[in-house]
Amino acid sequence: MSGFTISRRKMLAGSAMLLASTAMQISGWAQTPKKGGRLVLAADSEPRNLNPAIVASNGVFFISSKIVETLAEASFDGKDGLAPRLALSWEGAPDGLSVTFKLRDGVKWHDGKPFTSADVAFSALQIWKPLQNLGRTVFKDLAAVETPDDLTAIFKFAKPTPFQLIRNALPALSSVVPKHIYEVGKIEDNPANNAPIGTGPFKFGEYKAGQYYRLTKNTDYWGKDEPYLDEIIYQVLPDRTSAASALEAEEIQLAAFSAVPLADLDRISKVPGLKVISKGYEGLTYQLVVEINHRRKELADVKVRQAIAHAIDKDFVVKTVFLGYAATATGPVPKNDPQFYTADVPTYPFDVAKANALLDEAGYKKGPDGKRFTLKLLPAPYFNETKQFGDYLRQALAAIGIDAELVNNDSAAHIKAVYTDHAFDLAVGPPVFRGDPAISTTILVQSGIPDGVPFSNQGGYKNDALDALIARASETLDTSARTDLYKEFQKEVAADLPLINVAEWSFISVARDTVGNIANNPRWAVSNWADTYLAG
Amino acid sequence: MNPLRRFLRTPEAVAGVVLLGALIAMALIAPLLFPGDPQAIAGPALLPPFNDWSLPLGTDRLGRDVLAELFHGARTSLAVGLAAAAAALAIGSVVGTLAGFAGGLVDEVLMRITDAFQTVPSFLLALAFVSVVGPSLGVVVAAIALGTWTGPARIARAEVLSIRERDYVASARAIGMHPLEIAFREVLPNALPPVLAMSSVIVAAAILTEAALSFLGLGDPNRVTWGGMIAEGRAVLRTAPFLSIVPGIALVLTVLGVYLTGEGIVETTAVRRGLS
Repeated sequence: MSGFTISRRKMLAGSAMLLASTAMQISGWAQTPKKGGRLVLAADSEPRNLNPAIVASNGVFFISSKIVETLAEASFDGKDGLAPRLALSWEGAPDGLSVTFKLRDGVKWHDGKPFTSADVAFSALQIWKPLQNLGRTVFKDLAAVETPDDLTAIFKFAKPTPFQLIRNALPALSSVVPKHIYEVGKIEDNPANNAPIGTGPFKFGEYKAGQYYRLTKNTDYWGKDEPYLDEIIYQVLPDRTSAASALEAEEIQLAAFSAVPLADLDRISKVPGLKVISKGYEGLTYQLVVEINHRRKELADVKVRQAIAHAIDKDFVVKTVFLGYAATATGPVPKNDPQFYTADVPTYPFDVAKANALLDEAGYKKGPDGKRFTLKLLPAPYFNETKQFGDYLRQALAAIGIDAELVNNDSAAHIKAVYTDHAFDLAVGPPVFRGDPAISTTILVQSGIPDGVPFSNQGGYKNDALDALIARASETLDTSARTDLYKEFQKEVAADLPLINVAEWSFISVARDTVGNIANNPRWAVSNWADTYLAG
Repeated sequence: MNPLRRFLRTPEAVAGVVLLGALIAMALIAPLLFPGDPQAIAGPALLPPFNDWSLPLGTDRLGRDVLAELFHGARTSLAVGLAAAAAALAIGSVVGTLAGFAGGLVDEVLMRITDAFQTVPSFLLALAFVSVVGPSLGVVVAAIALGTWTGPARIARAEVLSIRERDYVASARAIGMHPLEIAFREVLPNALPPVLAMSSVIVAAAILTEAALSFLGLGDPNRVTWGGMIAEGRAVLRTAPFLSIVPGIALVLTVLGVYLTGEGIVETTAVRRGLS
């Protein structure tokens, strides 16, 4: 990504200067993390429910991943891209009917009770499978969790379940919460959902609505010498422009999740003492997607969809809307995914003449006013970039004679209009790729999903061949055969265009130079920060 | 001295007329000067002003011509301002006349409804209305009118109360005219001048409300609006402040122009009344 090259160049320039002056001193200082200190960072939303086992979303993880840990975390260099957390090892049976986890010894909950396999069994069966937004799909065939001893949990599946899928789901879906707290009363109403109790390096301190969340050091943490920080304060700064000024005024030391607008990065990277980091979000890739309502007769024609794909200048979108901090997309799996991505798919280079020809061929000639037909376009309001892309798409469609009428909604109204009422022709959506197409990608094109499920195929698209392919992949246990099926899936989606993938982007962090061990795993912003420290 | 010359003698009125005239001219020549869609991408993104004379005020985050947007935005502002004010005045004077002329229970009911509308802040009312019905130009106009018709209604009622006791009204009654005919043909035209004097305030308020709604993302997204331009510029306030400042200045000058013109008219008529 070009964003990374920019920052790498700057980092190189910076380190060269440092080397010139005090090389030995600097390298020694960077390697020994300092203990203590309070990290203050910007938070732009205030999730009400902080239980990551129920709400597996980045907004919740951002805060609660420091308190509640998962079985494993994503890693740049670990085997299968994973690093152990509460589980030390995981082993899938060849028949796909069981997965055995060996758990870490000597782990204590924040209230002093020991962590055991019973907690894992309870979380999996009582929360991940029935209640969690993502776990409902991945763990749908989980029948039982056997606990032969306190440090072994064996997941038993009613139907063969690919071990690759379970493995890929661990970082986001396997938050373990204490059984002894949650077995009393209704899980959704448990007070620990708002003041979580976990095994993580930080304990929940307090929350003042509209002001801050405070996390304090867990002195009983299992990691040797960890955590380094004494306290983490999430300063609530809902206004995007204020994060940049707060960083400059040294009121906060870190703004993650692109809290600093992309347009400000160039300026802020020149401020002494601040660094711009585009790493640490590789496992949280957002996809810029044009969702299509196939109930519209024009859009049910694949030629029209191909014409729209040809009309979008993906390079312009990356360069202008994302200011280079994104990559163009070729299909439903992002380019940065190490396991599944294939570039061998039909592509749609920017070509207005070809798009016009395709539309003529489809029988939608330009009227006397230069318009072929009118569409309703609903850009998702969650990101500035999705709204801006909506503005761009309207212009791109105008160039091929399609008159797009923009409809702006707030988040709740947008979700209702698109995913429940289907009151759209085109929509701009930002689905997340979560390391495995079966977690949250195949449902974008699969048929037979009930109305009202957000971020799923609500465009009325039905392709039996594609449905069969998805079904086959979901029961294929062999990792390489499964991977091949998903490569075929990408080809099929790119050819038939149930939706149009435009770009893939992730987030940018801006931090003070003093914050150490930033971006050292692919889900850094939503990982536990046990090794994060403040120097100087 | 004739009223026009008296009007032109007050410097603030002249300033107001010049500003308003410039605005109207902008709105009228926008489609001639900048034909086609003002939201079309015209050049590189975030070009600062005064760098390229084909794009004198620079471009926004997508590379749209700021000057073209500014001119087309004048159309929206003016259209919304005038339409909302006209609607508010029409509703207000009808309600006020009916209440004042009928008196009794009708008066009570209409005035309590007016009170009810007045107790809700008009911006809040517009906000709620647009977010329920969905943003489009007509809805925005209706939403603004909904919150501003109460002022004209109260003034119209007060005027009507004094006019209905006049002799010519009594004589109209005596010749057997229908009460509604008396209310709208005899009373209303005479009650109008003070109501119309409010129009400048209403137009100015309507333009500001429309800008505020657009700023909050509740304007019509298919049209350029100054409020929408400011909102979009806000994300890049530190790097490209001109994107917010340019439409902001336009907004200030417009409201000032409308207001000063209105003041000038009121003063002219007041002086004339004083002299006669």
